[in-house]
Amino acid sequence: METSIDWELVREIASCVFILSGAGFMLIASIGLLRFPDFYIRMSAITKGSTLGLGLILMGMAIYFNQPGILLKVLVIIAFTYITAPVAAHVIGRTAVQNGIAFWEKTNLKEFREYLTKHRLERQINQDRYTEEAPVTMEKDGGAGDVAGKV
Amino acid sequence: MSIFQITLIVGIVMQSVCLLLTAIRFAIGPTLPDRVTAFDLFVANVIGIIVIFTELTNNEDFIDVAIILSLFGFLGSISFAYYIMRITK
Amino acid sequence: MRLLLIHTILAAFVAYFAFQHPITSGVPYTAISATLLFAAVMGTLWLSTYFYRRTYFRKLPKLLYFILFFIKELLVANLKIAYDIITPRFRIQPTVMAFPLTVKTDLEISLLANLLGLTPGTLSIDVSEDRTTLYVHTLYLKHGNLESLKQHIKNGYERRILELTA
Repeated sequence: METSIDWELVREIASCVFILSGAGFMLIASIGLLRFPDFYIRMSAITKGSTLGLGLILMGMAIYFNQPGILLKVLVIIAFTYITAPVAAHVIGRTAVQNGIAFWEKTNLKEFREYLTKHRLERQINQDRYTEEAPVTMEKDGGAGDVAGKV
Repeated sequence: MSIFQITLIVGIVMQSVCLLLTAIRFAIGPTLPDRVTAFDLFVANVIGIIVIFTELTNNEDFIDVAIILSLFGFLGSISFAYYIMRITK
Repeated sequence: MRLLLIHTILAAFVAYFAFQHPITSGVPYTAISATLLFAAVMGTLWLSTYFYRRTYFRKLPKLLYFILFFIKELLVANLKIAYDIITPRFRIQPTVMAFPLTVKTDLEISLLANLLGLTPGTLSIDVSEDRTTLYVHTLYLKHGNLESLKQHIKNGYERRILELTA
């Protein structure tokens, strides 16, 4: 009756599957970072793909080592990344909107118009530099092709 | 060299290709927030490489590096965002 | 909330010190056995709250169910975007929508914005100053119109958050 399973091998295979799928998610995210046309689409699509890929890789490592201390450290890293990733995405996205980074031209901005007009008016009351300053910053940063003129 | 180690090395190679693609976006990225996003993805890729390397060498001490890096990546992107907010206002 | 924290710390201590005792020397100290012991202690403590804290007794299964639902959403949206990236044509219809909030407190709003920010395809941009509207940048519209997506967020995320924090 030779039915004893080699648990080491099972753990190695499970760990390999997790790590390869995680690395695949990260690779797809990096390709998307190059392919998508506009900052906000990249932002909302990419950072989460890399976060999920990182979580999968970490789980693969926890399965391979199979020690409680390592599992605890892995859970700590997963908690950090999953808490901080949306906060960072929100902060950078909000900064980009307030600095007037252009949207893709096919973006449907119907419900956002009110917010934009309100904030641009406020800014023009506060200081007049906004309309000159924003396009100049973009040109300095590499001559964007997708500066569609307006936010 | 077993198949397991070869798979791990394939994982590291995939992560390195990710780093390369992210570096291209970092170089051409039209605006500053694009570069901050690319930096975020850099940090995630480096953490992934460290984790796979830990598994490859069976040395558990490298995980602490990953913990600290995951904290400092967040601090870096937040402070960059704050900096962009300040210089353009 | 505080009870959950106390129970987690207690169960972690039990799962750590139980393996130092000579009784359990036959049991291997691995991640699986430690996790099973941790889950068993948490489950016992959860059952004991039936007698003195009914709300916690009702909320913990909902919390677990919410986490499972969220992982499902995360995987589905990630696979959708991955399919979109590796095929040559984009099927995205990016839209910025104004989502009317029914959650009121700071904790609920930040929880909702963070969960929306963690799901691929949506990015929470800003909250209006009177805290009635959340501006969300989305990539995919459900069935092509905005209203069904808003209904999905309202029934999927917001209702569960209200159930948990109420």
